[in-house]
Amino acid sequence: MKFESSRLVLGLFLEAIVLCLITSFRFINIESTVTLLIFNLLFLSLTFQLNGALNRKLGMLALGNIIGLFWNFLLYFFAIAGVMFFGEIFNVFYAVFYPLLNFMWIVSFWSLSLSVLPNPKSMHTEVKP
Amino acid sequence: MIIEALEVVFLFVTALMIAYLIRHYIFTLTVLRKAKKAKVDVVVNAKYEPTVSILIPARNEEKVIGRLLQRIAELTYPHDKLQVIVIDDASSDSTGRIADEYSSKYAFIEVLHRENSNGGRGKASAMNAGFKCATGEIVLCFDADYYPQKVIVEKLTKEFADPHVGAVQGRVVVLNEPQNMVTRLVALERIGGYRVDQEARDDLGLIAQFGGTVGGFRRSVLASLRGWDESILAEDTDLTFRVYLAGYKVRYVVDAECYEEAVDNWKAYRQQRYRWARGHMQCCFKHSLKVLKSKNLRAKEKVDGLLLLNVYFMPLVVLLSFIIGIPLIFFESSKLVGALWFSVPISFYSFVGNFAPFFEVGIGAYLDGRTRTQWLIPLLIFTFFYNIPICAKAFLDLLVSKIKRKDRSIWVKTSHLGNGNCYIVN
Repeated sequence: MKFESSRLVLGLFLEAIVLCLITSFRFINIESTVTLLIFNLLFLSLTFQLNGALNRKLGMLALGNIIGLFWNFLLYFFAIAGVMFFGEIFNVFYAVFYPLLNFMWIVSFWSLSLSVLPNPKSMHTEVKP
Repeated sequence: MIIEALEVVFLFVTALMIAYLIRHYIFTLTVLRKAKKAKVDVVVNAKYEPTVSILIPARNEEKVIGRLLQRIAELTYPHDKLQVIVIDDASSDSTGRIADEYSSKYAFIEVLHRENSNGGRGKASAMNAGFKCATGEIVLCFDADYYPQKVIVEKLTKEFADPHVGAVQGRVVVLNEPQNMVTRLVALERIGGYRVDQEARDDLGLIAQFGGTVGGFRRSVLASLRGWDESILAEDTDLTFRVYLAGYKVRYVVDAECYEEAVDNWKAYRQQRYRWARGHMQCCFKHSLKVLKSKNLRAKEKVDGLLLLNVYFMPLVVLLSFIIGIPLIFFESSKLVGALWFSVPISFYSFVGNFAPFFEVGIGAYLDGRTRTQWLIPLLIFTFFYNIPICAKAFLDLLVSKIKRKDRSIWVKTSHLGNGNCYIVN
């Protein structure tokens, strides 16, 4: 399990810069940026310490960000459609449930990405897996 | 004015949630760091072989007691230094008869039969009855549905070579994990609690917790504490804090594994969690102030102890933050509320009991080599929601009993059907 803190810090900075750029271009809103930052922080600080090739981890990180952005676009369009159909009140509904919906992809992607990495052998020898 | 007041409450509860999340993030990092270090084989101190009494409380456990006693007979610890006491707690099935059969076969196994007049009053009462007969320097406890490793006694007792250690706790692993969705989710919960949470707390010198089974005490310490408190439903948590407050430590031994038959349906899950929640809340009322005032605890132990004592209030705190947050967002209050609103959903993906967030459970499952189990982590949200009414009811019942000054704690026993037997590797 190789882990270099300098790479982690560098990765975080790069991510932060890219996300700030994206935000400034109004591609995604500030809430989505925060969600992506949380995902990147967890992924870089925890998943990068596990077994597996660095390239695979970087690939998973990039894929996670793409999925995150895509998910946010979907939610954004959903919100626009919702406001058109239901009026301004939909914005409140959206604001309340938005973080919850946003974390659905983070948790799902996180749990799936862990199984892509080579697992250490099970410690339990006296029970059937 | 009301909005400002709500904002203050919201900021307080979200700060609490973030404190828990940071705590568990540190736990996860600690365990990961430890896992990276080269593994050193545990050398058991062969010279330290104290006499050991093992207490096994059993009430209507005929489906599982034979399995445990057979394994007890196979323990590698010198049998002449072992005393095993099965407390047949007014069983109405053949638990007592099965225990008697093993007792006649093995001299170190004794059976204490309790009649309806003095038995059936809960685990703590049974343990106290057994403790009166225990003669060993170390007193270990195993629940009847557990299946320990053959070398578990050596692994657990070696910690007592340190005179500052008052209690020890081993790791609980779910035996019947593949049985159904409930057992798989309970297995994940156990992984979060025992693979990450307990190990990190032990490593960081915080409050490692005695879990009521797969662990034990130095006899002199337990005697000075006057055994188990029968009025508390979470008698294990209560003893943990009494040990720490008395100036001793609890050590956690991650490789001392014992396999348990987990609850396999939602009703049993609810009853068990209700008992844990109410018992934990009782401990919170009983010990919080003592923890703050204690001269035997360091500052970090006090902080961790308070967070541990309050852990079953967290589902209610999260619910409160959600209820308060909605009107604040509706009335478009400050930007800070909007930013903190993000901490709420992370908490939804946490296990109640140790408040293990999804990333902690995921890392624990990874380190355990459980690829498939990891995929169930998104389902944590449902168990969290299920725990909200359980903890709310436990809190309200306790509050009512405190007001009425009648804290009548009824022990609802979890029934074990022996469904884990088929998962044991012979």
